[in-house]
Parts: sequence; structure tokens; C-alpha cells
Amino acid sequence: MTDMSVPAMTDRTKPLDRARALAAFKLGDSTFYWLTRASALIVLCLLGGIIISLIVGAWPAIKTFGLEFLVTRRWAPQLSPSPVLGALGPLYGTVVTSLIAMLIAVPVGIGIAIFLTEFCPPMLRRPVGVAIELLAGIPSIIYGMWGFFVLAPFMTEHFMPAVIATFAHVPVLNVIFAGPPSYLSLFNASLVLAIMILPFITAISRDVFQTVPPMLKESAYGLGCTTWEVVKNVVIPFTRAGVIGGIMLALGRALGETMAVTFIIGNSFQISGSIFSPGTTISAAIASEFAEASGVHMSALILLGLLLFVLTFFVLAAARLMLARLQQQQGK
Amino acid sequence: MNPLYVARARTDKIIRFLCLSAAAFGLIWLGLILFTLISKGFAGLSLAVFTEMTPPPGSKSGGLANAIMGSIMMTLIGVGVGTPIGMLAGTYLAEYGRHEKLSFYVRFINDILLSAPSIVIGLFIYGAVVVPMGGFSGFAGSLALAVIVIPVVVRTTEDMLLLVPNQLREAASALGLPRSLVIRRIAYTAARTGLITGILLATARVAGETAPLLFTALSNQFWNVNLMKTMANLPVTINNFVQSPYDYWRQLAWTGALLITLAVLALNIIARLLGTERKSK
Amino acid sequence: MTQQVTDLQINTDMSATPASGTQVREDKLIVRNLDFFYGETKALKNINLALATNTVTSFIGPSGCGKSTLLRILNRMYDLYPGQRAEGEVLLDGQNLLDPKLDLNLLRARVGMVFQKPTPFPMTIYENIAFGIKLYENLSKSELDGRVERALRGAALWNEVKDKLNASGLSLSGGQQQRLCIARTVAIQPEVILFDEPCSALDPISTAKVEELIDELKEKYTIAIVTHNMQQAARVSEFTAFMYLGELVEFGPTTRLFTAPEKRQTQDYITGRFG
Repeated sequence: MTDMSVPAMTDRTKPLDRARALAAFKLGDSTFYWLTRASALIVLCLLGGIIISLIVGAWPAIKTFGLEFLVTRRWAPQLSPSPVLGALGPLYGTVVTSLIAMLIAVPVGIGIAIFLTEFCPPMLRRPVGVAIELLAGIPSIIYGMWGFFVLAPFMTEHFMPAVIATFAHVPVLNVIFAGPPSYLSLFNASLVLAIMILPFITAISRDVFQTVPPMLKESAYGLGCTTWEVVKNVVIPFTRAGVIGGIMLALGRALGETMAVTFIIGNSFQISGSIFSPGTTISAAIASEFAEASGVHMSALILLGLLLFVLTFFVLAAARLMLARLQQQQGK
Repeated sequence: MNPLYVARARTDKIIRFLCLSAAAFGLIWLGLILFTLISKGFAGLSLAVFTEMTPPPGSKSGGLANAIMGSIMMTLIGVGVGTPIGMLAGTYLAEYGRHEKLSFYVRFINDILLSAPSIVIGLFIYGAVVVPMGGFSGFAGSLALAVIVIPVVVRTTEDMLLLVPNQLREAASALGLPRSLVIRRIAYTAARTGLITGILLATARVAGETAPLLFTALSNQFWNVNLMKTMANLPVTINNFVQSPYDYWRQLAWTGALLITLAVLALNIIARLLGTERKSK
Repeated sequence: MTQQVTDLQINTDMSATPASGTQVREDKLIVRNLDFFYGETKALKNINLALATNTVTSFIGPSGCGKSTLLRILNRMYDLYPGQRAEGEVLLDGQNLLDPKLDLNLLRARVGMVFQKPTPFPMTIYENIAFGIKLYENLSKSELDGRVERALRGAALWNEVKDKLNASGLSLSGGQQQRLCIARTVAIQPEVILFDEPCSALDPISTAKVEELIDELKEKYTIAIVTHNMQQAARVSEFTAFMYLGELVEFGPTTRLFTAPEKRQTQDYITGRFG
């Protein structure tokens, strides 16, 4: 008992010392808290800043063209004194290229993801998976210049003439695939876009597929299901929200992508039925005209940017809600 | 054999074949891109690329020295500005504000910004920085890159901090550590490799960004390390050279593209190696 | 109200305990009329008990009975999470711990805690110990070395790690990690140490070591231990509290509680009829 009283004595003086030591941290503690909170608010302000700055920049165009802007096909910035500018051409190009790209990339990307998670020999699984992920990180300008120098000439000389000839007498299709073939075309841009988002769709679908609990798959195999039946009846239903979320995310990218399409879309504001003819997208229009634009022309380009932002905002928001649903399901 | 089973097995085989073809189809394109990039890019690789300035029109010589320098500077500044903000915001989401309403909105908005079109970020910085400052500048370009870095770092910081077991935080709090020290000394240390991975990935992401630089940093034919002036950079230089009529310029564009790709791949691979090291621990 | 244990009764119980001899012990921690809520759910109902200075008190009961919850109130660990709140009084040397104005960091330095799973910090063995000390005291290198050594000796770990103080704390075995965590807690000289199922992740040999350690630690500290292992409670503690569905069913000297429980539920539990 006697040796116990010694630490007891020192202990009694302790709280005071500690209070002083801790007081020294107080300021740093609350500063750090406020720094983190302020930074979180900066993220919110960024979104606000983007929207406000776009609206301010687009205001002259909004005032000049109003809602007409959305339905006007003509893009004539050189007209003086009052240029006629409309968003229909770029909007059409943006939607068409993104849709074609999704039509190609979604089945292929999901196919690769199924291949990777279900059919692939385990030995190849990692290297192929890693290769896909690395390719998803390659900057889009690389895809764009490859499309410009390699893909567009090849498609235009070998693929397009054959397709045009094949469908020349089929109604509807002979308009969609009408000639003449052109290096700079909606189709070539879509194809580059598809190749660019392919690794992205693959990577995200694979991640989503891997969230299926092995037990669930095993019990389906236990019933004698083939691999495809397991995929169709267990994996895909279980991950549907996640896969759709991933596709929307990819669509968001495709809609806003600039550098992969700028070189080969042709920057033509005409709307023609043929996907083999030149067109433009919102981002391509901004990229190629902004530097030389001024006045209401520049403002109209910013207004296009605002439209693009609103469009992608809704697509991405929907994607995130879908993905959040998958997470919730996992949490249960 | 049961005919129904035969039919099922056949479907399975067909799908198996389709998936394999999809994989082959996808990988062929991607292989082709890398092949072209490497063969065309290496052809133009020489010392002059690193020592000489971008050429004036028609010139048959010149390099990318100023563009490489500009890219490195703007990338580093962009990451340097964006990382602290992103890390602090991510810390708020994972630590202080994990259950707050504010975090819900910040997380949502951050995820949107993560995939927002980069050209819109360029327009934003044009309106918010270039116009008020009266001209294009490397500084504006860096800020545009920082805006892209922030959401990436926020996301990885939050994810990595959430992987730190709560028990570790409790154990640190049980010693009487103030909250900020629990985070800075314990949670950050535990998540260190993950945080570094996130920063590397953010760097890789902006190293090749072109669209937001087109009308913020613009470009410049000369050696310039003054952030207040227009600044050459690889992506915009490539953009300008690709569409030029001169073969030599196109060659330089390929070489520049190869350099960017190698840098981006290297960053990705380092990040990945760090990531696996973490898992094996 | 299924139990009417009051402070008075506890004190009489204790003075009557053969284990504590004839000496009357002081109460270090007194819990009075304590309720605890997770959101709307009431997890603890009107808890009353006292921890005597320099004794080991164990908390037993089936999982979900609130024993860990009670422990986490004693150093306000629950404060880290939103929606959790306690009502009533918890007095540490007469000071109410539930006072919202209380400095939690100071409290936690006085009431240390060792967790279910070993939680070494991601730093060296030496730093794991020195970290907490440096927080409160400005010591020279040699003083600090001495304190680290003393803490490690106190946790019976010194001989095993003295040659690799710069190795990562994560490189130790589970049992060693747990003793490192005990050393870390002891190093900042708390007055009370809370153990939350400290041996549930350990093998029998490491468990024996930790139990021995707890026995030594009570010379200097007041100890509370939550365990789901009744033998462990019987081995290490002077007092035992049996909890069930958020209520304190019975509290008294360990030997009495295990040999002659007063309540039917206690008897059922210790004879293994439920739980």
C-alpha cells in the first residue's frame, strides 16, 4: 500500500498539467475543423461559381435570342450587324454522336466485363483488367488524334463506301447512310468516342459485377445453371441499378467530351440525316470557335456551354442516384 | 441427352463466344492506338524535342521544350492548389461531417464535378479569371486544372479515410487526443498510401487535359516561366499541330502525345503499385 | 425496476467482501440513475453502481445487454457518434462526467481504454507509446526513453520488443499488439482503465498474459472489464456486475455472485441456461 501512494500523489497534480498541454491544441483543433468545413463549402461554391459565371457570360446571347436559340438551326456569326445563332445543330450532333457511341460501347463494354468476371481464364483476368484500367486513363486528345490520322481515313475509304452501297436502295437507311463518305463525319467521331468510353464502361461494369456475393452465384450454379444463366438471372438483376448508373456516367462523359471528337467531326452546323456527313457537337463548337469569337458570338458559345452543363448535370445526377441505390442494396 | 439441356448449353456457348469477341474487338482497337502512338511517337523522339522551342510556321526544326516545361509547371501548380482543398474537404466528409446534411450535398455535387465536361471548366475559368485579369495566362490554366483536381482528391480522400477502422480513431481518442490530431496523426498515417495514390491519379488525370487549357493558358511559342503570361503546354500544342499542314509539326504532335501518354501511364502504374502494396500489408 | 442496488448497499456489500479484507475502499467512479439512448432506443435503464478504487470490476451478460455501452459512457466514447446520449450521473472523484462542458480529452486521459481488437497506431512500437506521452508532457529524449521502457515493462512487453523498438507496431503478434495497447494506455498515467473484451481476439496463452497484467495493474489503477467469458470474470475481478437487456440485474463481490447469486436471472446465466 505504501508504494501505491506515490503514483497517487503524482496523479493528483496531473490534470492541471494536462489541461495546459491540451489548451495549446485548442486553437489548432478548431482551425483545422474550420479549414475542412470551408473546403467542403468551396466544393459547393465551385458548382455555384460555374453556373453563375456561365449565366453571366451567356447573358447577352440569352437576351438576344431567348428560347429561339434552342430551335434555331442556323449558325451565322459572320452576319452583320445582327448574327443569327442557334443551338440546334450542335445539340443534334452531341446527342447523335453520344447515342451512336453508346450503342457501340455499351454492349461491347458489358460483354468484356462479363468475359472478365465470368469466362476469362483466371491467369488472364488481372493483366487484361489492368490493361483496360490503364487505357481508361489515357488522355482523350490521344484518342482524338489517332481517330484523325488513322481511323477516319480507314473508315472513310474502306467501310463507308461499302455501307453506302449496301443500303443505297433501302428506304430510311439510305438516308442515314447517305454518301458521300467524308473524313470528317458524325460517324467517325462517334466511333472514336465509343472506343474512348469503352474502357470506362468495362471497368465500371466489372467493378459492379464483382459486388455480387459469391454465395448468390454459387447457389445458382448449385441448381445446375450454366454460366450465362447465372449472369442473366443472378448477376445482371442483382447489379441492374449499378450497371445503368455506370452507363449513364459514361453517357455523361460522351456528351461532354471535347478532344476526342473535335478533330474529326467537321465543325459543320448543318443538320443532315446522314451520319456519314460532317456535323458538330457543343464542345467541339466551343473548342474550335471560342478563341476567335467575340461579342454575341462568344456569348452564344458560352450559352452552349451552359446547355451542355445542364444536360450533363441531369445525366450525371441520375447516374449517381442509380449507383447510390446499388450501394444501399449492398449495405442491407 | 436432354434436348432442353442441349439448347441451354448451346446458348451458353454462343454467349461465351460473343463475350470473347467483344473482348477481342475492344482490345484490338486499344492495341492499335498504342501501337500507332508508340511507332509514330518514337520516330520523332530526339534530344531536340527536349531542348528546342516549338517551331514557327514552316520551320523544319524545333522541339517541345517550352511546352513540356509549361505542362509540368501548370500540372504541379494545379495539383498543388487543388490537393490541399480536396484533402481538407474529403476530411470533412469522412471525419467531422460524416453524418451531416451538408456532407450529403457536398458529396453529391462533388460526384457531379468529378465527371463534369472539362471544357465547361475552361469556360468557367475564362469568365472567372481570364476576363477579370485581362488576359490569358499560365496562372488561369493552373487554376482550371486545380478545379479538376479538387473533386478527384475529395473522392479518394474520403474513400481512403473511410477505410480506416473506427476502432483506431476510438483508440486515439481514448488517449485523450484532440480530434484534429486523431485525424492528422492517426487517420492520415493509416491512410497514407491511399492518399498518395489519390494525388497521383489526380495528377495523371490533369496531365493530359486539353480542353480547359484552350482558352485559359492558351499557348506560346517561346520559353516562358512567367505565370502571368500565356503559357505553352503539351496538350494545346498537340491540338494546334495536329490540324496543321506541316509534316514536321504533325510529327511533333505524335511525339508530344507519346510523352503525355508515357507520363500518365507511369503515374497510373506507380499509383497502382502503391495500392497493391497497401492491400498486401 | 428489477433491481434496487443503491450506493449504500454497494458500500455495505464491499465492506463485507472477504476479498477486500477489512479495509473500507473508496469509490472511484459512481454511476447514478444512468439511462442511455441510441436515438430513440433506450439501451441502458437506470443503472446504479460504483467502482471501488484499485479494484477490478467485471461486467458480464449476454451480447447486446449493454455492458460495452456502459463502459463507453465512462470515458464518453459515445460522444464521437451523433444521436447517442446519456442521462443521469457518472461521478469520477465526485465530478460529473456527463457534464456537457467537460473537456473530453482531459477525461479520456484520466480514463484510459483498451479495445476488443488490438489497435496499434500505424507507427513504430516506440512511437506508439511515446506519442501519447509527448502530447501532454515536454520531456527530454532520455526521460522519454525511460517512460517508454517503463510503460513497456509495465505491460510485460519490454523483453520481447526491446531490440526492435523501431519496427512497426503492426508487425507484432495479436497478443503483443494488445499488450502494446495496454502499455500505451498506461504510459499516460490514467486513473481508471476500461477493458472492452480485451481477450476476445487472442489465443489462450496471450489471454493468460493479459489477465496476469490486469491483476498487476489494479495495484495502481481502478479497472473495469467487459467480458463475455464468465471464467475470466471470476479469475480477474473482485466485483462483478451482471447485466441483461440494458438493466443491471445484480452487482456484488465476484465470489458471492458466482456462488450464491441473489437473482434468478443471474443464476440462469452463470449456470449456462441462457445467453
